[in-house]
Amino acid sequence: MTHSLHREGTIDSLERDYCVFIYPARGFNYAGSAPKIRRLAELIYTCGAANFCPTTLRENMYSEVATPEEVLASIQKDGTRVYSTWNNPEKLKQLLIKMKEADEGISIVVSGLIDRVRVMAREIGLNPHTINMSLGIHGRTELLPPADIRQFTTMCGHAMVAPGLVRNSLRRVKTGKSTAWDESIVLAKPCACGIYNPYRSEEMLNDLAPVYAVSRW
Amino acid sequence: MIIRGEVCVGCGRCQPYCPAGAIHFSGLKSEVDRETCLECGTCLRVAICPVDAIMDDPTAFEYPRAVRKVFSDPTAPHIATGIEGRGTEESKTNDVTGRVGPDSVGVAIEVGRPTLGMGLPDVQKISRALARAGITEIEPCNPIHQMYADESTGDLRADLMGERVLSAIIELEVKKDRLPHILRVLKEVAKEVDSVFTLDVYSLLGPDLEISKEVLAALDSEGFPWRPNAKINVGLGRAWEERRAS
Ligand code: SF4
Ligand code: SF4
Repeated sequence: MTHSLHREGTIDSLERDYCVFIYPARGFNYAGSAPKIRRLAELIYTCGAANFCPTTLRENMYSEVATPEEVLASIQKDGTRVYSTWNNPEKLKQLLIKMKEADEGISIVVSGLIDRVRVMAREIGLNPHTINMSLGIHGRTELLPPADIRQFTTMCGHAMVAPGLVRNSLRRVKTGKSTAWDESIVLAKPCACGIYNPYRSEEMLNDLAPVYAVSRW
Repeated sequence: MIIRGEVCVGCGRCQPYCPAGAIHFSGLKSEVDRETCLECGTCLRVAICPVDAIMDDPTAFEYPRAVRKVFSDPTAPHIATGIEGRGTEESKTNDVTGRVGPDSVGVAIEVGRPTLGMGLPDVQKISRALARAGITEIEPCNPIHQMYADESTGDLRADLMGERVLSAIIELEVKKDRLPHILRVLKEVAKEVDSVFTLDVYSLLGPDLEISKEVLAALDSEGFPWRPNAKINVGLGRAWEERRAS
């Protein structure tokens, strides 16, 4: 999956948008991985992720389907993958320091601004192994929703956050029917991997709502 | 997906949630346009309907329509990879698997992303263009591999041509010196498809997150700018299962 690779937006906004994934590899380090993954997932919680989801639940941390203890307790199966999102680079750095110390041997992937990750890796003493670079969108790009909508929708790389839902949320914020935070939780819901960043979404809704033309009050 | 007309109260809440724009009013009730629906499951998963009128279409699990679901619903597992999602594990576990080595580069063509989805005839335009250009190194564990009728021609199964998917990933792993050729082919086929695809490359890093000069030179020469954000395997994994550990 490359579902966090094509997040769009300004550099300033992407400065507060990172994803961290815990990925065991089938046939290489699956066996006995469950307790290790659970310990790493605990670090994600305690370091303050902006969003979080293990594949055992497929519900993000705002869904209220389980307490944090229940979410962690659900990680009992070898090979469980864990997805998370970070809006604060300092918290992300603390997480990576602790993950390095924990040395559980499971692959960790960070998605975000290359230059930021480079500096962080240097400071922590990590030796990044592989990079997956996005070469952008090709083909009939004129059919796409506009860039200001895509900066929301691409936070779910599986395209589960519909452009129409973003417009709906903008309309509701603009007309005072809801707050930018509440709408960001609405927008985070369809993302089954828990990598929609509601903090960044709140900022963007607040930025865009004043200038957004609504056709229906 | 289907909406049970006898239950729907026509509140319209489900409509904006559909990424494909497949839910519309028909009279006073909502209805799913079967052709547009990609069986992504979002409308059901978000549990927004106050009267539980939305339910799985039983035919969504029958071939050939089932390809919509497996390539559009991120919670539907693929039989080939055993993992949920649209591709294999690509670069994400490369520190453990060593799948992409120092001389190689991985290329992923994510058809239909973002948002638009793609009809299988358009996916075939890409697979045929790659085959014509002699590029046949399609990752065998990739779910899309199962859709091929003939790898040498890039033909997909004829009975799938009426289907659409939200996203499917064609993954290739080639020697680095083949990258410019592949990029040229993709640049041309991008003019033919009636939708979009996102493109990405993955390769090993040097010290201090140094990106392969050969890869950068290929992107530069073929006019492919890369985005400032990327996915980086930070090198904390290791293998311990005996049959694979080296
Ligand atoms: S399954 Fe997906 S594409 Fe089909 S109606 Fe529901 S949300 Fe739309
Ligand atoms: S949310 Fe349910 S009741 Fe409302 S329009 Fe959709 S299917 Fe009908």
